[in-house]
Amino acid sequence: MKQRSLLLWISSLVALLVAYTVVAGALRRPDILPTTPEILQTFGSLLVRGNPPPAGEMHHEHHQHQMRSSDQVDTLVQQGVTLQDALLVSTARVLFGLLVGLPLGILIGVLLGWSRRADDYLHSVYVLIRSVPPLAFITYIMLWLGHSEAHRLIPIVYAVAVTAVIPTYHAVRDVAGRYLVAARSLGARGRLLVTKVLLPAASPAVLGGLRYAVAIAWMTAVGAEMLMAENGMGNLLVGGGMWSSRMQTRSDPAVIIAGVITLAAAGWAMDALARMLTAHLTRWVR
Amino acid sequence: MMAALQVRRAAIGLLAVVLLYGIAAQIAHGRLPDRIWMGAHYVDNIQLLPTWRSLAEEGAFLIESDILVSSVAVSTRRVLAGLLLGSVVGILLGLATGRARRLETVADPWVTFFRFTPALALLPLYVVWFGFGELSKVLLIASSVAVVTLLGAHHGVRAVPPVYLDAAASLGASPRLAFRKIVLPFALPHIFAGIRVGVGLAWVTIVVAELIDAKMPSLGYLLALSGAYPRVPTMLIALATVGALVLAFDLILLAVQSQATRWMRRTA
Amino acid sequence: MTAPLLEALDVGYTYPGPMPTHALEGLSLSVKEGEFLALLGPVGCGKTTLLRMFAGFLRPTRGTVKCAGAPVDGPGWQRGYVLQEESIFPWMTVRENLEFGLLAKGKDPQARKVGSDEMLGLIGLSAFESAWPKELSAGMSKMVEVARVLATDPSVLLLDEPFGALDAQTRARMQDALARLWEQKRKTVVFVTHDAEEALYLADRIVVLSVRPGRVKAQFAVDLARPRTVETRFSAPFLALKRQVWEATSLHPSAEK
Repeated sequence: MKQRSLLLWISSLVALLVAYTVVAGALRRPDILPTTPEILQTFGSLLVRGNPPPAGEMHHEHHQHQMRSSDQVDTLVQQGVTLQDALLVSTARVLFGLLVGLPLGILIGVLLGWSRRADDYLHSVYVLIRSVPPLAFITYIMLWLGHSEAHRLIPIVYAVAVTAVIPTYHAVRDVAGRYLVAARSLGARGRLLVTKVLLPAASPAVLGGLRYAVAIAWMTAVGAEMLMAENGMGNLLVGGGMWSSRMQTRSDPAVIIAGVITLAAAGWAMDALARMLTAHLTRWVR
Repeated sequence: MMAALQVRRAAIGLLAVVLLYGIAAQIAHGRLPDRIWMGAHYVDNIQLLPTWRSLAEEGAFLIESDILVSSVAVSTRRVLAGLLLGSVVGILLGLATGRARRLETVADPWVTFFRFTPALALLPLYVVWFGFGELSKVLLIASSVAVVTLLGAHHGVRAVPPVYLDAAASLGASPRLAFRKIVLPFALPHIFAGIRVGVGLAWVTIVVAELIDAKMPSLGYLLALSGAYPRVPTMLIALATVGALVLAFDLILLAVQSQATRWMRRTA
Repeated sequence: MTAPLLEALDVGYTYPGPMPTHALEGLSLSVKEGEFLALLGPVGCGKTTLLRMFAGFLRPTRGTVKCAGAPVDGPGWQRGYVLQEESIFPWMTVRENLEFGLLAKGKDPQARKVGSDEMLGLIGLSAFESAWPKELSAGMSKMVEVARVLATDPSVLLLDEPFGALDAQTRARMQDALARLWEQKRKTVVFVTHDAEEALYLADRIVVLSVRPGRVKAQFAVDLARPRTVETRFSAPFLALKRQVWEATSLHPSAEK
């Protein structure tokens, strides 16, 4: 049964690829649906750093055997952009957002969940702040901090932090209570209470929110890079530079598809890591 | 229901934020630099922290000139269209994959792919296919919403305790009736949770799409325009408007959800 | 006669809110050192409220609660409290659970090991020292919670329906285990339960509480020889007492007389 469903899974994937290859091959419109070999060649072009191929070569008879060339690929190659560099930059931004945003969100969640008074006074303020989409205030941050790395990172940190608050809040308020009572009755106070009781009790919920935080961090990073960044996956997708400044250039769907596939793979890999981390840290959960 | 004390405290908290901002803006007035380097040139007369007074004046202007209202109408219409399309597709697919194991296996590679693709990354592709315009924006919102509502509906169906299905079957319920009377009510909270996440994503998506394709009138345009000049009061009002819309959508959904799931025991 | 270790003097507790609930009113009670006291009463009689006051998590709205002559002021290890809900820390092994109170006291690892070793032996769970709580049965978990409190060497044990969620057989086994534990340690115990038989089997004295407001309705001394066994449960004095207690707790008018 297991084997059969694996077979089904793989055949579904293969069917998808075959269907795409046939449709794109029949359509012969690389400006709309690039063929599968063209997408693979685009991957090749984007992975190799180097000079653009001489003009005209694209129209050569055996163009399948060469690297793919188009406006967008040429622009990227000229700028020295490679897929792996872009992915690395975006991953670094996502990780920064998680590393700073998670502790921040957990801190706020613990505060609101722990103190009834803080919750009463500040919960509505939190809800108001949470409602503003992170990428909407990117231009405002730029006014304050200038054109720098900060206005790409702050929206990611903000998006992650806002996401981490709610699961922490509910865990501290609804789950941790009886463990805290038991621990205080055993004489625990202060730091011991927080590190040995409160945080472990909240950890399954916090880690459950981690997967969503990872997804939202990628989303925000790509959006911020599409809007204003000279590097990263979002920048690669729009063909280098800020999109608004190069609207005239024709986009190459092969580059976009290659970028989307890479992003999906990166998101999946990070999610798998988050799942493994969660499974290890919550192996005590019934 | 919230006690009077909690309402009073929430009001005090919000009022404190309003006052603190007002004080900060008054202090900043004339002290913060009003000349800003914009990458290529300086811009003068910038109010980084506009006072409540100038915010009110700007707000009045934006409302009187109909810019704000029409922007809200355009952006809201796009979000609603995308939300409707995305959640209908997502919920139907999620219910189907939740019910049929084999379908789930077949759909899994696709679902996994879209699940880990940041929806915003699809925007350039949609622009290539459909051009800038309504269609690519609505489809983009629908894509991001469909994924989360699909997952919500799928998990909702799977969360139904088998005992209830057994009980229904032994009472002679047809699979159809059991689906309508058992599975759907149980899946509903999960479906709503998915839609609520979807609403947040929809607004993130539309703001970015409108920032990139800045055309009159839309909230993204208002943000882009006020960022280009730059004109901070307009920017902050646009930000607050987006926030208020997100909040309003969420509150409406919460109200509908608590009505639809009122049979469940509420924890205080 | 020794001075009472634990005292409730004219204690009242009213839960605030739009419709205030008078959980307890004018209740006085004292517990001698080394005594096993059972608080018996139906749901909603304020047993848990009283226990939480002794534990220091609730402050009486009227009267005072004293431990060893001093007013109770907040929770502490001197009054070890075992909650009705399962509160064994699921993210710690059995041994870590048993050592937690000693850790809170600032004991070094050596002393903690000695303490947890003793407790593991007492409850017969040495083989499970590094097990997660999820690997234990509900009854075993409860015993770990009791032993976890005992490990800090408190002057009073406050147990809130520890076996309430167990099936009848496990319950009887756990009662025996608790009785053995108590016979070895001779701690002062306040044991909350709604089960008359359980109270009779374990306690030296039973205090029956009335419902809303909670007051002392009746008291029974249980002069049954220890160690008590299955035979005790079916002995004539046990059954006679059980009848009296049953009549005291019953709300039926004919039994009220």
